[in-house]
Amino acid sequence: MKRHVLLVEDDPRVRRVLRLALEDEGYQVAEAATGCDGLRSLHADPPDVVLLDLMLPDTDGFAVCRGIRRDSAVPVIMVTARTDSHDVVAGLEAGADDYVTKPLVAKELSARIRALLRRAQGSSESETPRLVVDDLEIEVEEGTVRRDGDLLSLTRTEFRLLVELARHEGRVCSREHLLERVWGYGYFGDSRLVDVHIRRLRTKVERDPANPRHVITARGLGYRLVGTGG
Amino acid sequence: MASPRLPRVRLGLRDRVTIAFGLMALALSALLAVVTWVLVTHDLLSQRRAAARVETSANAQVLATGLGTHGLAVANVMDKLTNTAGSALLVAYHGHWYSTVLERDPSLLPAQLRAQVRQGSVAEQVTWVGDAKYLIVGVPLRGDGDALFELFPLGDLDHTYHVLAITLVAVAAGTSLAGLMAGRYASRRAFQPLRSVTQAAEAFARGNLEVRLEAEHDPDLAGLARSFNRTADAFAKRVAADARFAADVSHELRTPLTTMLNSAELLSRRRAELPERLREPLDLLVSDLERFRVLVIDLIEISRDYTFAEHESEPVWIAELTARAADAAAGRPVTVVEPGAERLRVNADKRRLERVVTNLVQNAERHGRGCVETRVVQVGALVRLTVDDAGPGIADRDRDRVFERFARRSGSDGARGVGLGLAIVRQHVLWHGGTIRVEDRPGGGARFVVELPVGGGHRG
Repeated sequence: MKRHVLLVEDDPRVRRVLRLALEDEGYQVAEAATGCDGLRSLHADPPDVVLLDLMLPDTDGFAVCRGIRRDSAVPVIMVTARTDSHDVVAGLEAGADDYVTKPLVAKELSARIRALLRRAQGSSESETPRLVVDDLEIEVEEGTVRRDGDLLSLTRTEFRLLVELARHEGRVCSREHLLERVWGYGYFGDSRLVDVHIRRLRTKVERDPANPRHVITARGLGYRLVGTGG
Repeated sequence: MASPRLPRVRLGLRDRVTIAFGLMALALSALLAVVTWVLVTHDLLSQRRAAARVETSANAQVLATGLGTHGLAVANVMDKLTNTAGSALLVAYHGHWYSTVLERDPSLLPAQLRAQVRQGSVAEQVTWVGDAKYLIVGVPLRGDGDALFELFPLGDLDHTYHVLAITLVAVAAGTSLAGLMAGRYASRRAFQPLRSVTQAAEAFARGNLEVRLEAEHDPDLAGLARSFNRTADAFAKRVAADARFAADVSHELRTPLTTMLNSAELLSRRRAELPERLREPLDLLVSDLERFRVLVIDLIEISRDYTFAEHESEPVWIAELTARAADAAAGRPVTVVEPGAERLRVNADKRRLERVVTNLVQNAERHGRGCVETRVVQVGALVRLTVDDAGPGIADRDRDRVFERFARRSGSDGARGVGLGLAIVRQHVLWHGGTIRVEDRPGGGARFVVELPVGGGHRG
């Protein structure tokens, strides 16, 4: 089955060439020229991944991203102006899973998409499909998390981040480790991806995100997940 | 023949001010000491003279009365005379000399003094007798040639002078020293603003274009501060405008570049399906597009520091980062971490630091016949990264230029530019508060040396 990519990009030439190149990589591509079109298309024909240019003519890309996040956990890759702009953090906070910068090449993009579409990584078949950390119950196979029996709505990336932390319960996971396991980046990946996703994860799994009791920062080292007992 | 010139010691302004303060204090205290000396010694001596005159005159009175009125023998009268402070008395009476002390004979008396007394006036003189100093007072008696001389030893006065001299010299020396210290302190206070100007200018030269002087309200420095700030503003604006232009240009290039790169990639993937004669132009297109892409990315990289204020930094294990970046850039292990350096952390932006190492190693690979070794070593409060290559080295005159944008190396390997790679390296090293230089590698080749503060702060 072909993976389905929704391409939200205002420049027609870039849109066309990316469609051609992504189709050549084996994806099925739907195009949208504006944010509104993009949201409509998202509902009409839900994609596996959204590629979203942050500089759109009608609405700004952040609003579109928040619009997507209101009712979808689909992975979103944003196209930002540059890696060190405020856009990166703002886009991630708006709900994007990853980002790429122009000039972007379909081959790289394809690698990013594949990384985001991976299932939560299990290290072996025999591993338990269910992880419990205090009041959090994680069904690895189903991709669901419950807190005291209530279903939490996590994006795929947030879920994989939580699973990675839960597999190392009580131990510190470095940012580099998380970047590699969750995003498929190497040592030089952008650690802001981890930091912002941790913040997003806290707003969902913590009762008081300002005083996290589960997802704990180990200053200068990384993050760890702890049960309140431990 | 020219006389050999002494090496001239150039003193700093502060040293000169300090020395001037010290000399002034010395001159003043010396003057005070001399005046004190003159006044005190003069006063002491005249007091002593007055007292001596009174005593001798009184003695003369007693002597005259004893000899004249009572007709006593000289020796008997002399017993009645006062002699304070160990003074010795000599009496000339009817051509005979009488003395209270045996060794004191009239030959001791200066001729001038004796002449004055003989003429009938009271006279006095300070003179040396042997190695001791005496004040001699002579008073004429009634008979012709009769006189009383009294010798007052001045040894105790000398002792007082001695103590006084030591005290005055010590005070003068102390005052001079205090003057030096005051000069040091005052010059430090006075030059404090100058130091801040120097620091600001140095920081500015190092590339921190945000430095400004705050002394605009100090009436003594307002002019300097204002003109420094104005110049800095103008320069920073100019630099920012240049950078923004470069950033805008490269920004605009990114969209068409995306189209071209992806189209070229599509074509290359179908290279085998193309007719033979189209393959070479395609390869040319693809390889130059790659160069174009690198250039645009570098342009964006080098112009970003001026256009974005956001500076991210975190503690980074410098040895690990260097090893990963250098080995990846060289495609083989090239990194040596010296003992102790593996636990060093630098406050850094990982992405920028990775560009520093990668660009240096790539430069060695492309222009230096291969990277020989990358080394990480601690040097005091710094961590030093060296990247060695096997190339011809870099001539002295090119050692600064090589870090300029689109620098071209003079010499045999043609006029091929090295692009922006090393300019980016320098910019990022400076951003981290570090330094970079190039030197000869022992055994041939070039050695790029980067030094960064350990755990150190970057500006911003």
